[in-house]
Amino acid sequence: MKRVATLTAAVLLAVGLAGCQVKSDAGGTSGGGEEISFLTFETPNLTPDYWNAAIKRVTDKHPEIKVKKLVAPTADGRTAYAKQLLQSGQFPDVMIAVTPAGFAEAGELYAWNPDELKDFQFPTANPIKGKYFQLPANTQTIPPIYYNKKLFADAGVTGEPKTWDELLAAAEKLKAKGTTPFVIGGGKDGFASSMILAGIVSTDLYGKNKDWMTQRREDKVKFADADFQAALTKFADLANKGYIDKASVSRDYAATEQAFLDGKGAMYPMGNWFAANADTKKPAFDIGVFNFPTADGKLIVPAYTGGGMIVSANAKNLSAAKKFALAFQLDKTQLDQSVKADGLFPAIKGYTPPADTGPVFKAGYKLYEDAVKENAVVHTFRWETADDGLLPGMTDKVDQAAQDLITGRKSVADVAAFLDTEWNKAR
Amino acid sequence: MWPKVWHFLSFGAPGVLIYVCFVLAPIVISFWYSLTNYNPFNPPISYVGWENYFLLFQDKEFLTALKVTSILTVIVVVVPNALGLGVALLLDRPGWLYNALRSVFFTPVILSSVVVSIIWSRLLDNEGPLNTFLRFLGVENPPGWLSDPDVALYSLASIVCWQMLGFCVVVYLAGLQGVPQELLEAAQIDGAGPVRRFRAVTWPLLAPSLTINTVVLLISAFKTYDYVKVITNGGPGAGATATIAFNVLATGFDANHVGYASAMAIVMLLIVAVVTAVVLKLLQRREVDL
Repeated sequence: MKRVATLTAAVLLAVGLAGCQVKSDAGGTSGGGEEISFLTFETPNLTPDYWNAAIKRVTDKHPEIKVKKLVAPTADGRTAYAKQLLQSGQFPDVMIAVTPAGFAEAGELYAWNPDELKDFQFPTANPIKGKYFQLPANTQTIPPIYYNKKLFADAGVTGEPKTWDELLAAAEKLKAKGTTPFVIGGGKDGFASSMILAGIVSTDLYGKNKDWMTQRREDKVKFADADFQAALTKFADLANKGYIDKASVSRDYAATEQAFLDGKGAMYPMGNWFAANADTKKPAFDIGVFNFPTADGKLIVPAYTGGGMIVSANAKNLSAAKKFALAFQLDKTQLDQSVKADGLFPAIKGYTPPADTGPVFKAGYKLYEDAVKENAVVHTFRWETADDGLLPGMTDKVDQAAQDLITGRKSVADVAAFLDTEWNKAR
Repeated sequence: MWPKVWHFLSFGAPGVLIYVCFVLAPIVISFWYSLTNYNPFNPPISYVGWENYFLLFQDKEFLTALKVTSILTVIVVVVPNALGLGVALLLDRPGWLYNALRSVFFTPVILSSVVVSIIWSRLLDNEGPLNTFLRFLGVENPPGWLSDPDVALYSLASIVCWQMLGFCVVVYLAGLQGVPQELLEAAQIDGAGPVRRFRAVTWPLLAPSLTINTVVLLISAFKTYDYVKVITNGGPGAGATATIAFNVLATGFDANHVGYASAMAIVMLLIVAVVTAVVLKLLQRREVDL
């Protein structure tokens, strides 16, 4: 009987523990020797094969490293998943495109030293308390505006808008022609609602004061201040004038992108990653891209540099984890793959994208290169992840605020007050 | 003596252990967290007493979530119950067609709520099949089922009702099978018509079915999270469809305020427990023994 009881307890314990294990896909371990765990995420662009091949290229060069691949249950929820893993004592050794804020302050992440960052174009991007925790692997311009050249031509819009007034004039012509000027989304992918707002705040506020968000953290400025409310008003006016379809706030990201590719709207403000799909899906019209217009036409390009790997400070094989992360991020084939699959702009010194990229990617990359030359790049509001970023939990609030302005449910003043209230709660 | 003790332990202990580990311990730990400012990314933890609870009842976002959850719960308890009873009465007859229809009504219950959410979000999209059909019928501006903040909550509730309807139908059908035929025949001989027979015989004997359906729907509706997360993410706008369960996860895992989120979870637990106990007590009074 004693054996039965012991066996029962053992089986229950085993079943319980099995239920608590992190998902590791079949065949997700490669290499040998020093084992590290690596948290990835999958999207239509970033498939299991993409990750497996990328890991194999690194382990082929470093056979002493053995990689156990983990997959976040959802792409958008990868940072929340990393938090759950940390709290259950299963924090991965290496994670990609997971926001370092919070983990870094809690001492959970390894801080890269300048020598390790020497190959990166912007080694001082995203400091957290003066240290650098995420490899600044790539840059994303957020949001350039992609447009349907045929709908522009049909509406008599000639040339790409550079100033806000030119953008409004183009939108008016498109609307008069019966075309929805801006394609936006929302639903479970709230960021698709706030893209235009991110562009306005970045160009209008950050263009004049790059430290605006840092000052918000220090309570020197507020969302209710006149300049931020002016940005909210510009955004609300687009909806009031009928340039944004209010019914689109429930449409998820995939459906939003498809709507633009199906010609259901003329302009699509989205991150430069859209270029990968724009080039591969080949819609029935040509797609152009221009920088988010500014009030006076001055060149200001909102962008975010980061998106790379972070390494657990408590990794069992820290040396192998660091070596893997750097080798992964600097692998030329991997960089080329990230350009083609996800439209990324690798921020690696001396790197040039493959010659066979599509026209939309090339056009967007040229805009970005010109902005770098002119020193006209600012951070993108809502997308920053470091000391100059929104507080944890605030990105959803910004998306909700954008939706309230689009639907007209709240006034500009109410939205500004809402953001300040939520900011105080998020502290 | 010892063999009896081992016998008891081997059968009783696993269940008790699982209950303690996976039910009681999380509740106790959550309650402790709710009395602290616990933020895993901002240590150390400090005891704050009942402060989280005081803040909670001044928090407009939480009060809105409470209102949203209450509306959703009322709809989800009433509509599937009423429709489920009607459908069960129609399907309570022999024949292959009725058997097939029972399966049809039960199918949504076995589907994943995430799958159901994705399907319905496509159907209710502004450019989706429903609005396309309405436009075909001549409706120029069909409702923004999920994009209008005044409509989205009711659309969401309808989706939950649609999925739960089959469960209610099956429970009521089981109850109807238990109604003795001789009672119905006796009532008919006494001159009772169909409506009177239903009110005087069938309905009182369906009381246990009503209790089961109401309690299950009440608890399911109150903890609604997945539909909200997949379909609206709490929007459109701030809090239009955000339930308490949705806010608990957003506050705990996105904003990292685990202490505050735990206070929300404890309040939610208490509300569900009290409401369920009261409803159970009231409904069980109606139940009659044959």
